[in-house]
Amino acid sequence: MSAGGTGRVSPGRAVLGAAGVLLAAYGAWLLLSRQDLDRNLDVVLWLAGGVVVHDLVLGSVVIAVSLLATRLLPAVARPAAGAGLVVLGSLTVLAVPFLGGFGRENAPENPTLLDRDYTAGYLVLVATVIIVVVLPVLLHTLRSRRAAPEGTGGR
Amino acid sequence: MSLLPALRRAPRETSHLRSAAVTARVGRWLGICFGIAFLTGLVSHYAQNPTQPVPFPTSPSWGYRLTQGLHVTTGIACIPLLLVKLWSVLPLLVRGLPSGWAARARDGAERASIAVLVSASVFLLVTGLLNSTQWYPWDFSFRRSHYALAWVAIGALLLHVAVKLPTIREALGRDVDDTALDRPEAVVRGGLSRRGLLRSTWVAAGLAVLATAGSTVPWLRRVSVLGVRSGDGPGGVPINRTAAAAGVEESASSPAYRLVVAHAGTTVSLTREDLLAMPQRSEELPIACVEGWSASAVWTGVRLRDLLDLVDAPRGAEVEVTSLQERGAFRATLLQGNFADDDRTLVALALSGEPLDLDHGYPARLIAPNRPGVLQTKWLSRLEAVT
Repeated sequence: MSAGGTGRVSPGRAVLGAAGVLLAAYGAWLLLSRQDLDRNLDVVLWLAGGVVVHDLVLGSVVIAVSLLATRLLPAVARPAAGAGLVVLGSLTVLAVPFLGGFGRENAPENPTLLDRDYTAGYLVLVATVIIVVVLPVLLHTLRSRRAAPEGTGGR
Repeated sequence: MSLLPALRRAPRETSHLRSAAVTARVGRWLGICFGIAFLTGLVSHYAQNPTQPVPFPTSPSWGYRLTQGLHVTTGIACIPLLLVKLWSVLPLLVRGLPSGWAARARDGAERASIAVLVSASVFLLVTGLLNSTQWYPWDFSFRRSHYALAWVAIGALLLHVAVKLPTIREALGRDVDDTALDRPEAVVRGGLSRRGLLRSTWVAAGLAVLATAGSTVPWLRRVSVLGVRSGDGPGGVPINRTAAAAGVEESASSPAYRLVVAHAGTTVSLTREDLLAMPQRSEELPIACVEGWSASAVWTGVRLRDLLDLVDAPRGAEVEVTSLQERGAFRATLLQGNFADDDRTLVALALSGEPLDLDHGYPARLIAPNRPGVLQTKWLSRLEAVT
């Protein structure tokens, strides 16, 4: 943060920043001028809701999982668990609308929409991540610990 | 946020991964993906505009398929990138206020701009993802809101980059494990290394792309376990809107069906048999949906230009295309002159060698090169050339 707002602002940065403000203002004008107030209130609700769900719900889940992992897992398993959390966590967020199949309810007569077994697909994805991400990181940690005894390797 | 005095006085120790070294590296890719999604989004928006000062090109026929596939794919890749990037700066959300009014004003302005950037970014990714699965749990217009907020997000992103540029430059210039730019409380170690976190992030983005891109990249079909479409459908092409959903089952199957072609008082009325009796052409053209899925197939039917010649419509005339469907934003669309005159633009009667399926637009549909799927009007009822 220290370098953020202090110091002299170069002309290039000033132009970039001003261009950003103009583009964002254009976007706000587009939103307000092309849609009535009721619909825009719904947009505002979704704008705020996205941040709240991310910061409070996802944020709390990640903090809770991280705390549990540091309490329960042996040190050697933590890097692998971290990698697993990053990859599986974000893929799980992506998978929600597929696993729920909510779009299908809007078009029950369309057999070509969301026409896969997403539960099986998601499980395949989880297995793939465990094999190509979690296990290799675990093996790597184990190997570097053996190379550097007293457990300093992982630190 | 200053309601938490404990956090204000003594920032809690946090992971050494929460460093500008990590944030800048993830942010760089996030910025690139947002840029691609923004530009391809503009292309898509323009392609759907009825009035085009510069005509949208008809070639290459796969152009829109590529840009819209990129739009959705880069958006999907942004989901892991944004999650990791926001995680890496989360403690800043509850940081204390600086002292002095000028510093507080600057801090407030920065927080406000970040709030705009984050909320617009999350909005774009969430609504885009849900839209690609045809789930619309909102009351606003997706197209208008997604488009307007794309400008807001890209503007706030440019401002953010301008503010952070010195930090970004310094962070990218140093080794990823360098701690010079770290906040003093970011010292907790023992889990992933920074390189490990970055590698996991790239793998997450890559897997997210592989898991979904099969809806538009045929050879990825089998591995894309989260594809919105398997690629199956009548004639090997999926369906976006069925005849039942459009309410045209009866009118499209009726023996009274006629395709009306009109220009300046001249009107020709054609049955499907009349159309089949005209010279038939076959073209391999993609259906590329705004939702990001696409499929290429061989369409057979009458060249649109041949039909326009029946009513002496001059070259360059635009064509008002109307569907049998009674409602929906794309019931009537405008086909620009360059598309109407292109030899590959067909009134298709067959797909992959079989008569058109009712859900693909039977008795007759429009298919033109390099055009968004929503404008490839199905269940054609009227073609009127306007000059």
